[in-house]
Amino acid sequence: MSGRARVRARGLARSPSAAEAGRTCAPPSRSRSPSPSPTSVDTGNNEASSTSSFVGTSRMSQSCQDVVSSGDTGCTFTERGGKIRQDFKDLSVCTREKLAHVRDCKRGSSGVPVKLVANLFSLDLPLDWQLYQYHVAYVPDIESRRLRIALLYSHKALSNKAKAFDGAILFLSQKLEAKVTELSSETSRGNTVKMTITLTGELPASSPVCTQVFSIIFRKILKKLAMYQIGRNFYKPSEPVEIPQHKLSLWPGFAISVSQFESRLLFTADVSYKVLRNETVLEFMAGICQETGMSCFTQMCEKQLLGLVVLTRYNNKTYRIDDIDWSVKPTHTFRKKDGTEVTYVDYYKQQYDITLSDLNQPVLVSLLKSKRNDSTEARVAHLIPELCFLTGLTRQATTDFQLMKAVAGETRLSPMGRQQRLARLADDIQRNKDARFELESWGLHFGCQMSLTGRVLPSEKILMQDHVCQPGSAAEWSKDMRNCKILSAQSLNKWLIICSNRDEKVTEDFLHCLRRVGSSMGFNVDYPKIIKVQENPAAFLSALQRHVDPNVQLVMCILPSNQKSYYDSIKKYLSSVCPVPSQCALTRTLNKQGMVMSIATKIAMQMACKLGGELWAVEIPLKSLMVVGIDVCKDEFNKGMVVVGFVASINPGITRWFSRCILQRTTTDVADCLKVFMTGALNRWHRHNCSLPARVVVYRDGVGDGQLQTLLEYEVPQLLSSVTEASSNTSAKLSVIVVRKKCTPRFFTEMNRSVQNPPLGTVVDSEATRPEWQVLFEKYDFYLISQAAGQGTVTPTHYNVIYDDNGLKPDHMQRLTFKLCHLYYNWPGLISIPAPCQYAHKLTFLVAQNIHKEPSLELANSLFYL
Amino acid sequence: MDHCEVLSKKVIEFKPPVYEQRYYFVKNLVNQHGHKKIADLGFGDATLLWMLKYHRCVQYLVGVDIAAKPFEWGGGRLSPGVGSYIIPRELDLTITLYRGSAVQKDSRLCGFDLITCIELIEHLDSEDLAKFPEVVFGYFSPGMVVISTPNSEFNPLFPASTFRDPDHRFEWNRKQFQMWALDVAKLYHYSVEFSGVGDPPAGAEHVGYCTQIGVFQKNRAKPTESSISEPEEHVYEVVSFLWEVYTTSYPSLQQSKYFRFTLSIEAVKSIDLMKSRFLRGPRRKEGDRVVPLGSCTPQDGLTEAQRAEIEQSPKPYSVGEKFYVPLERLLAYPKVNLLVAGSTEKLRTVLAEGLRLNGDQTAVQVELVDYRTQRLFDEHLVSPALES
Repeated sequence: MSGRARVRARGLARSPSAAEAGRTCAPPSRSRSPSPSPTSVDTGNNEASSTSSFVGTSRMSQSCQDVVSSGDTGCTFTERGGKIRQDFKDLSVCTREKLAHVRDCKRGSSGVPVKLVANLFSLDLPLDWQLYQYHVAYVPDIESRRLRIALLYSHKALSNKAKAFDGAILFLSQKLEAKVTELSSETSRGNTVKMTITLTGELPASSPVCTQVFSIIFRKILKKLAMYQIGRNFYKPSEPVEIPQHKLSLWPGFAISVSQFESRLLFTADVSYKVLRNETVLEFMAGICQETGMSCFTQMCEKQLLGLVVLTRYNNKTYRIDDIDWSVKPTHTFRKKDGTEVTYVDYYKQQYDITLSDLNQPVLVSLLKSKRNDSTEARVAHLIPELCFLTGLTRQATTDFQLMKAVAGETRLSPMGRQQRLARLADDIQRNKDARFELESWGLHFGCQMSLTGRVLPSEKILMQDHVCQPGSAAEWSKDMRNCKILSAQSLNKWLIICSNRDEKVTEDFLHCLRRVGSSMGFNVDYPKIIKVQENPAAFLSALQRHVDPNVQLVMCILPSNQKSYYDSIKKYLSSVCPVPSQCALTRTLNKQGMVMSIATKIAMQMACKLGGELWAVEIPLKSLMVVGIDVCKDEFNKGMVVVGFVASINPGITRWFSRCILQRTTTDVADCLKVFMTGALNRWHRHNCSLPARVVVYRDGVGDGQLQTLLEYEVPQLLSSVTEASSNTSAKLSVIVVRKKCTPRFFTEMNRSVQNPPLGTVVDSEATRPEWQVLFEKYDFYLISQAAGQGTVTPTHYNVIYDDNGLKPDHMQRLTFKLCHLYYNWPGLISIPAPCQYAHKLTFLVAQNIHKEPSLELANSLFYL
Repeated sequence: MDHCEVLSKKVIEFKPPVYEQRYYFVKNLVNQHGHKKIADLGFGDATLLWMLKYHRCVQYLVGVDIAAKPFEWGGGRLSPGVGSYIIPRELDLTITLYRGSAVQKDSRLCGFDLITCIELIEHLDSEDLAKFPEVVFGYFSPGMVVISTPNSEFNPLFPASTFRDPDHRFEWNRKQFQMWALDVAKLYHYSVEFSGVGDPPAGAEHVGYCTQIGVFQKNRAKPTESSISEPEEHVYEVVSFLWEVYTTSYPSLQQSKYFRFTLSIEAVKSIDLMKSRFLRGPRRKEGDRVVPLGSCTPQDGLTEAQRAEIEQSPKPYSVGEKFYVPLERLLAYPKVNLLVAGSTEKLRTVLAEGLRLNGDQTAVQVELVDYRTQRLFDEHLVSPALES
């Protein structure tokens, strides 16, 4: 490697300009060998495996789960550890060029046009705009990034220029006169430092590097608007929402990004809330101590704390807890940078005027990321638990219904409320003198909010056994189907109910209701055998062991409390040891006054499904179509494992499902078992229909940032080879669609000077979708709004068709997707994603949270996990 | 400096470096005297201001520098961090930076408890140096002035024989500095004590400190206390030459919204501990080991006496699925007690705004459900997450 190349390489490794390499259409850090081995982990993807989007368990809003990065608050490129942002990488994965039928147009046509406004703002640049990229070298070399930046910024030659600099790479909007510029500056100690600024690139506005520089510019601007950067988002601490009951404060703010959309550069802003916990690590530890006792206190602390990100009280920095050193106490000494020894207690007293109250607490250990990559010496920071706060919500807290309700109540914003916040932000940006100056100096013009036209797809009819109903609202049709018979149901003859001694009366009452609603929906429920047991999980389990045999069709358990161990032990036993469908319900639920009938109806439907019944259907014009949903979810206990769920329809009416699930190591990263699952599903289809499906459409959920390329190279071939091998002559046509529930665009309809959520079935396939004019980053994608949001703002779901042999017209693809959102039997209404994905999610969630084992294959033909 | 880094590699002349010793010298003075209003003339990179902002007694910090620029550095470190919002200070704090000369009269610098001029005077030309005493001592007239400057007698110990900084106009020996200082003190009714930082190496003790420091204390006229409490605007004619480049205020318990929230949080923390003890009571009887005191387990920062006092206060109780904690019980917790200065009435008023109290307003009511064991059963009846 030549010296110059080495410099370049070093520059690349530490800055996103590496994304230049992305122009070659493959992420730079990956090997491009045609058959990557399943165990090879894309090193650039390490982050993806920890992003919350990959964790299927997190169904809550992103705002509650914000991961706080430990980067420093300076607005520079190396913040993310020099890595290319993961979603950014997906941009450079082209999928559309291979799809002949959509090469010219990826837009649909059916439905009623609807005018929409989006949370997007146009950013205009002069036509000939260019970004100039320079490399800056220091002689003598300076390690401190802060000093590097200070020296360069203070130099007169650059003082009036718009610039962005991360310590090594400098971006300017105006070209310097010479290709190589030599400057010299003086440090405060009087040493002269020579800086050599060398032009390394001239980039057009459409370059991905530019979008990143624009993002940095906007970060700077938001800081000028008195917002704090935490992670990637910006928050206003001066207007907090406080929830003292749960020791939380919420900071309102924005998630912002700048990206290239269909035809132009757009600024996206979405309202976001940062959850801050008013609880120190020491208090958290005290809680653990009280809960678990001394015997396993240290293990529990380590289990719950390691890996969490904490915020220090005094210096506005975040750290990841990598270890806890129980042997170090605040009264021990450490050596300061200058070599003097001081105790932690004295240090915090002297430096920050803070008196530590607990002198027995251990210290938290955090490995510090080395800013300069060449230093191999690992540096660690010792932190005092009493002075650290936990950030975000723990997994435990997210399962707290009360807490989540409180958070949702505060963070839920009506479309109007959201629109007002956006308008205020845009206004602030345009009015703020510094912000305006910053934009002007880069030649950027912050334009107006974008309007576009969507289409509302025709509504669907719900097909029941002897009745076709046109629901009053597609959001929920439980009323419309009252007294209608479900499509098919197996009669329930031999079944058990296990309840505690105290709950006999409740059980009898409920059973009465259940049988009544069952018969009205065409689901015959015979009288079960009722087993009364003592009120503890062990008694329930031993009753199962004694009474359940393979002839039992279903077991119902009436649980006296919502203790996890009841549910876990029952589900574990009945889904893997002795595979029989099971139904759990809480006594408290059955006791709810005035709701007994609707609860019984709901449970009756779930039970019918668990026996393999079909509730309702929608019209599917395509004959011989199999749809598949795939989702992944991290195991709750074993962080190294992920659960992959695969749910495929096995009849042309798309009412019966084949569900498989597997646990595999996280290092395998993407679903490794798809070929086996797909082949299994095709066999099952063949058994039921005496032929193979002509078309297979796969919806893949749970895709993390930056994984698109891996999906294309690794998952699609698996599915494809299974489909081709299944038949000797004409094989099924395959389409693969990546489903994302968390996307930044939001759409509103304007009505009487107010804005509202768009109608159900709204499709957006222009303007806000990804570029089509730029050949390299082509996508065939659309947004669909298929769920109702009561009081809040609806989040559209993004569909990205990454593989498509079927040659379905975009219009048909969109309508099929919409139809599939009607078919989730746990909810008589539309849901946000296609039913097979929701089934796959439900299945993986159950396995990851409760069973931790693969469910028996014998249950694969029924929706036993509802 | 920001965190306790476990490393060491630099070999230096002074431990800690002499600039840091100067700052610690000031910090010690502030600790000793509890100054409320402090101005730093020639604040440079704002390190001293940043160090002083952590003092609990400080409520008003001002920096003046001829080269102060907005948004370049300081702002970041001087503005309140996320932590300052989570645990607000007890007292308000405002930090303001001005650009301008230290020898310019500006009424906004009058009435301070302390004015620091750390390594400033040696940068002044003779004209400014002549104006300096009149402006700082005569016009600003703070309770205390700290002036540090190089001790030229120490210079021979350095390799370079000239001034320590090319911008220095002069470097005085001890005698020169002390003469100047005594004259100034006499003229403006201050008393002065001399000190310094940066001990000379063994064998060179005769040269004195590397940095010489004069601490000037205003001679107390009879009714000083009352003149301090007067609002400044009435005392001084408003003169403003300095250009404000930055200002920020910290959240504090003196602001009602932060007080209310902090008190509620403290109350909830105590309630949560009581609740969890209450919920786990029976299990402990089954033979769980009782946590031994003095081990490495956190003890909620309570002393034995405080524990005993808590035990004696009215006990929490439950009715149905509700858990009640008497306000009296909460008051036994030192942090809560301190915040409301022992007043039940105040506690009641504030908690009633954010939390739920029982019928006769004598206890806080919370749900008895414990989130650590609570599950979401979407198996029944929770609609699939529609909302985000």
